[in-house]
Amino acid sequence: MASVRLEDLRKHYKRGSEIIRALDGVTLDINKGEFVAVVGRSGSGKTTMLDLIGLLLRPTSGRLLIDDIDTTKLGDRDRAHMRSEKIGFVFQEYNLLPTLNVVENVMLPLRYAKTKVGGREHALALLERVELTDRVKHRPSELSGGQQQRVAIARSMINRPSLILLDEPTGAVDTETAEQLVALLKRLNREDQVTIIVVTHDLDVAAHARRNIRLKDGKVLADERVEAVPVA
Amino acid sequence: MEILRNIARRKLRSALTISGIVIGVLALTTMGALAENFNALLDGGVKYFGSNVQVGPPDGQSTFLLPLSKIDDIKNIDGVAAAFPGYSFSLKPGAAPSFSFGVPDTIVAGSPDENNWTPFKITVASGRQLTASSSGEVVLGSTLAKEFKKSAGDNMDLPVKPADAKPDFVNHTFKVIGVLNQTLTAPDTFAYISISDGQMLLKDSLPAPLQTALDVTQITEGITVYGKPGTSLSELDKIANRINSQVQGVKATKPSQLVDAFKSGGAVFTGITTAAALLALLIGGLSVVNTMFMAVAERVREIGLKKAVGATTFNVMGEFLIEATLIGLIGGLVGYGLGAAITLIVNATTAPGSTALFLLTTRLTVFAIGFAIALGAVAGILPAFRAARLDPVTALRNE
Repeated sequence: MASVRLEDLRKHYKRGSEIIRALDGVTLDINKGEFVAVVGRSGSGKTTMLDLIGLLLRPTSGRLLIDDIDTTKLGDRDRAHMRSEKIGFVFQEYNLLPTLNVVENVMLPLRYAKTKVGGREHALALLERVELTDRVKHRPSELSGGQQQRVAIARSMINRPSLILLDEPTGAVDTETAEQLVALLKRLNREDQVTIIVVTHDLDVAAHARRNIRLKDGKVLADERVEAVPVA
Repeated sequence: MEILRNIARRKLRSALTISGIVIGVLALTTMGALAENFNALLDGGVKYFGSNVQVGPPDGQSTFLLPLSKIDDIKNIDGVAAAFPGYSFSLKPGAAPSFSFGVPDTIVAGSPDENNWTPFKITVASGRQLTASSSGEVVLGSTLAKEFKKSAGDNMDLPVKPADAKPDFVNHTFKVIGVLNQTLTAPDTFAYISISDGQMLLKDSLPAPLQTALDVTQITEGITVYGKPGTSLSELDKIANRINSQVQGVKATKPSQLVDAFKSGGAVFTGITTAAALLALLIGGLSVVNTMFMAVAERVREIGLKKAVGATTFNVMGEFLIEATLIGLIGGLVGYGLGAAITLIVNATTAPGSTALFLLTTRLTVFAIGFAIALGAVAGILPAFRAARLDPVTALRNE
């Protein structure tokens, strides 16, 4: 069963009289538990594709199914609930709330979830998995970039999503930290069977994925299954 | 908790915004307490004068004197159930006039039975009421008792002798037999004596030639007329009309005219004071709007993140509305606290003989704090709406 299915998915924008085809008829299946890297140059459409899969954008045409639910037919409220329950997000700039401490940041999505699974206990367990048990009450400003990104990863897992979307997750950290983050993602992917889609410029990150989707001008240029690099 | 931290995040700005609300609520509390005090004074008048018909000398007569026999004529009028003579004298003759929110200190002579007819009951806090046979006895209003430090059993000379009194000034020693409960209106500054004692003071007040020529036991200064219990204001107006047409040498005032005068006086005062305070509060409200718009602008990425992790438009709007409402609540509580403290301190330092300037009431408390909360909420609507409408993709990548 496909975790994510894109059927002739398009996202077009108007800029003056010009039509920008950010995503132009993409069709693909991403199966449950896959670790997929979406690569391509700037403007290739990879971030637009991630925003569409994350239900942050509505497509111009085509269908997007997540866990067999046609999301293009959902209203704003249902899309918000679906983001809450099925999708976790990790961004390049971490996007942690500065007024909340580490465990409160991890628990933030629970505030908007219909079914609140686990609560603080689950948040603490996730922080243990990302090796931040000694930073539970720290504020984001007291953490390094790598630590903040690990908090963001724990936050993305709090509602036990079936899909985690990462937008340049190693873009703001050094190489060593990037390696650690990738290792963490691979472990979560293996242990939880959660589907991971990561948009990246970083070829080292892409090399760790088991499938690389290369975009160009809003279309799929290549879709390759790769041999996973062993975790360091 | 996050909302409180967000308010604390920009301490100076939040403090300035809350200060705007504080100043507004402080103004509303003090002005409102002033108006409430004035209204309580007028409400007593409305209640008392709305329950009877006041009869005095006809228009053009220079003195407030009526033959006591007019009471019998009035009692024969259709609808009249009781009529009482009344006398009043300045308690401190010759005292320099002063502006005050209270009624001047007055000696009032009347029948104790009148208390059975009026809906405005006066009750004793200590001692006892006057009786029909009282002589040389006085019951003091609460403010007067405090001013002269008198309690039941003490003696008091009435009227009070002025410092520059002429040698022929006359007053009499009365025994204080009771002190009234506070009414927040006229009786607080009244000293009640019997009719016979009132007639004695009336005689003292007349020019020497008249003192021997007039039989004060046959004279009254005014007559208070009651219908049967439950008689409506319009029916009392009709009784006044009947008195004017059927009894010669008197003038009955329609109670509705007196009631309207009290009410319009109160409405104007309340309107002016409340409008001034509300204006101050609205200016405070505008600072909340500004602060919340700035908060939205600063937290665009946070809003985007919240939407990404599942917050609905309603969730985001709710969070900003609660924050704005909380600013209103904090400002309201602090402003009310300061306003209440000011009114209590001013009242406590008012001279014992003066009527208190402020009156804090439950409805004023609820209104002042409630209005601050509502103002915060209303001020938060537009910024919250803007926050809720933010496109998450744009918001998440906002620099």
